[in-house]
Amino acid sequence: MRTKQEYLIRYKDGNLYCELADIWIDPSKPVKKALITHAHFDHFTFGCEEYISTKETAMLLKERVGDNIKIKTFEYGEEFKINGINISFHPSGHILGSSQIRFIFAEEKWLISGDFKLQKDQTCKQYEIVKTDYLISECTFGLPIFKWDESNKIANDISKWITNSPEKTSLLFCYSLGKAQRLLNEIGQTNFKGNIFSHGSIHKMNNSYRELGIDIKDTIKIENKKKIDELKGSLILLPPSLSKGYYLKNFKNIQTAFASGWMSIRALRKRSGYDKGFAISDHADWDGILEVVKKSEAKNVFFHHGDSEALSKYLVEKESINVLLFGK
Amino acid sequence: MSLKKFSELFGDLDSINSTNNKIEVLKNYFLSNDPIDNSWAIYLLTGKSNKRFISGRYLKNIFSQIYEYPQWLIDTCYLKVGDSAELITLLLKNKTNSRKKKLSNISLNELLSETIPALSKLNEEEKNSEIKNLWETLPEDNHLIFNKILTGTFRVGVSIGLITKSISKLINIEEEIISHRLMGDFKPSIDSYEFLINKNINLQELNSKPFPFLLANTIEDKIFKNSINDFQFEWKYDGIRLQLIKRSGNVSLWTRGQELVNESFPELVEKMSHIKDDFVLDGELLVWNFKEQIAFDFSLLQKRINRNSPTRSIQIKYPIIFIAYDLLEINGRDIREIKLENRRIELEKYFSKWQIKTENNISNIFKICDLIFPKDWPDALNYKEKSRENNTEGLIIKKKTSIYSSGRKKGIWWKYKVDPMQLDAVLIYAKGGSGRRAGLYTDYSFALWKDKELIKFASAYSGLTNIEIKELDKWIRKNTIEKFGPVRSLKPEMVFEISFEKIQISKRHKSGIAVRFPRITKWRKDKKIHDANSLENAYELMKKIS
Repeated sequence: MRTKQEYLIRYKDGNLYCELADIWIDPSKPVKKALITHAHFDHFTFGCEEYISTKETAMLLKERVGDNIKIKTFEYGEEFKINGINISFHPSGHILGSSQIRFIFAEEKWLISGDFKLQKDQTCKQYEIVKTDYLISECTFGLPIFKWDESNKIANDISKWITNSPEKTSLLFCYSLGKAQRLLNEIGQTNFKGNIFSHGSIHKMNNSYRELGIDIKDTIKIENKKKIDELKGSLILLPPSLSKGYYLKNFKNIQTAFASGWMSIRALRKRSGYDKGFAISDHADWDGILEVVKKSEAKNVFFHHGDSEALSKYLVEKESINVLLFGK
Repeated sequence: MSLKKFSELFGDLDSINSTNNKIEVLKNYFLSNDPIDNSWAIYLLTGKSNKRFISGRYLKNIFSQIYEYPQWLIDTCYLKVGDSAELITLLLKNKTNSRKKKLSNISLNELLSETIPALSKLNEEEKNSEIKNLWETLPEDNHLIFNKILTGTFRVGVSIGLITKSISKLINIEEEIISHRLMGDFKPSIDSYEFLINKNINLQELNSKPFPFLLANTIEDKIFKNSINDFQFEWKYDGIRLQLIKRSGNVSLWTRGQELVNESFPELVEKMSHIKDDFVLDGELLVWNFKEQIAFDFSLLQKRINRNSPTRSIQIKYPIIFIAYDLLEINGRDIREIKLENRRIELEKYFSKWQIKTENNISNIFKICDLIFPKDWPDALNYKEKSRENNTEGLIIKKKTSIYSSGRKKGIWWKYKVDPMQLDAVLIYAKGGSGRRAGLYTDYSFALWKDKELIKFASAYSGLTNIEIKELDKWIRKNTIEKFGPVRSLKPEMVFEISFEKIQISKRHKSGIAVRFPRITKWRKDKKIHDANSLENAYELMKKIS
């Protein structure tokens, strides 16, 4: 058994770090070299000397933060070497360009899952099962109460929600990157044929997705002071940050909803203040996490990004998998 | 006309905020379903007497056994969900075979009058396998409602008022009539629904039912501008509000929660039936200290409330009294529309008649409330301050010219309560909340100083805003010393002002005192823990009051 300091990848200052390669994974503070799993802002920080990511992630990041960053890109599955360590990106199914990162050193394999999901999503590559010795997995939804419905069922629910209130303007709050495009893709396949508007931040990402060859429904960029009659019966996609405040005063006669995995719990739905919640997530549910842990064939597992206590205990007791704790 | 339809109704009601839309949805539901299922829907929605067929704990145990889930994992999940029925529904997802859904069209009536009641005739093993069978044959979308009905926890944001309004709209009859019809124990049946939507108003049928209660509002400053002579003053008793009805010789006791409580207080029913007139009285039921002529503490009344057919010795140990403060109907004549001062004259007149004319002595169980006559508003304040001496909560102030309308109508009755007692205490434990507060630490315990030790003296749940709850939840997670199951012990750092209604000696508590209705009234961020009060302060407070 090795000590924590001797692991190939460990926690340092709250971030994942590989000392042998002197490289950080999704660091939250500026460093020399950063591997980026995907283009969400909670996985990115300004000021690193060099970023390494997939081609799609690099493009989305530049679209979001400008061209002033130095990013080296690799294809999925393409191996590259840093200080003798073989590193490669593999699809994680979270959003377009998202990846797991595998490290191989001295015949020992490490896999960082990144944010991932197994569910079908036509806007990004399907999660790839990667075999490993050590798995570092996220566990945002690491309790058996989380089980996702098929996304086309959720899309049909959304479509019904809008068409059942033709007098209203339906505001659907969702993350601008990834969730919004996945919803648009799914809603495009439902019976809803009304207008869809999206907030500027979402509109921009829609265009990037289209440039990268993803099929998503056309939306109209929402402008302030749109006539109320024009919006009646239509759907407007907005980022969650706009749900509490003056922005909503731009609209009359609205109904609101939030699309997030947390909405599967009634107490959270009620507390969120939205009229309705749609439980759709780009993270794996309980069964998804268990499946990945098993299929990766990892002998040792670490969890982060979530409450891992119950999940760890379950794996140790029921599946006899060695779950380790990072010294944080 | 099915559980399926009702599940959809629940989903709609649960996600609609506008009252008008809810009424519309309800109206449409009633229009498109069978009378019998409608009557069950009303029964469930009004939550009148949702019977618990099995407990939440039992439900969790069955699930754990059938699907081989460790109990600790279910308990951990419960902390996030806060409701056993919903928890099991979430855990059941994708667990049952979708091809076996033969109960997808079961009617509410069949489920509630046959399937579920039949469970209680089974032994444990049979019961478990039948519940498993039902889970597997009911569609997944209906599991939540089914589990909630099983555990007697069906609740949705629909008040009786809303049901009343939607039925009133449905058949175009005034809300008062519907509200009257909905009072009391509504037994689901075709007849009870047809009665509810009957366009002919038949007084005979309404015979045993109470009138909607008139409720008091919290006092507002503007009232002090009025002449004191415009008002009638009474003590505010801390008992159970009751309407005592005697019509065609039959006595019925109705609580504000629309429960018929005849069986808990048989001696009152018996005595009142000797009175010759028919009447409806509004008043308060109390456990009475006959020696000192004041009410006993509410806790003694609690020993009577939930006990049916109390023995003779219980009746003697906890003697009750009904104190009437209003007469609403006399010998079939509804007098709610006449002025309060005139109703009072009637009440006094009949009361003295009954005292003389009734063969059995009724004065040891029934009296009318004394009136108070403050000479001006400062004097009223004096009375209010004295209310603790006679174990009342303050004053009720009623406009003399008012009629007896229904609900919490503004400007008719006011409650003028004694100010609460307060102590500053230190937060030492927190526990996860349930229901809407699941996943947050919302149940708190507070301590006072004794020498250099902090001794727990009260627990409180309410009083903080949602924003404060979230802020405190964050703090709790960061400042936990130890976890014991759902409870965390905390670093003593936060001081809160705790208000309560009553303080008394208690041997059951380590602190030696017990307080009633403790609640948080202020987060004293300005105070350090050394500024918090001591147990000695609490004892002083107790002395000052008694």
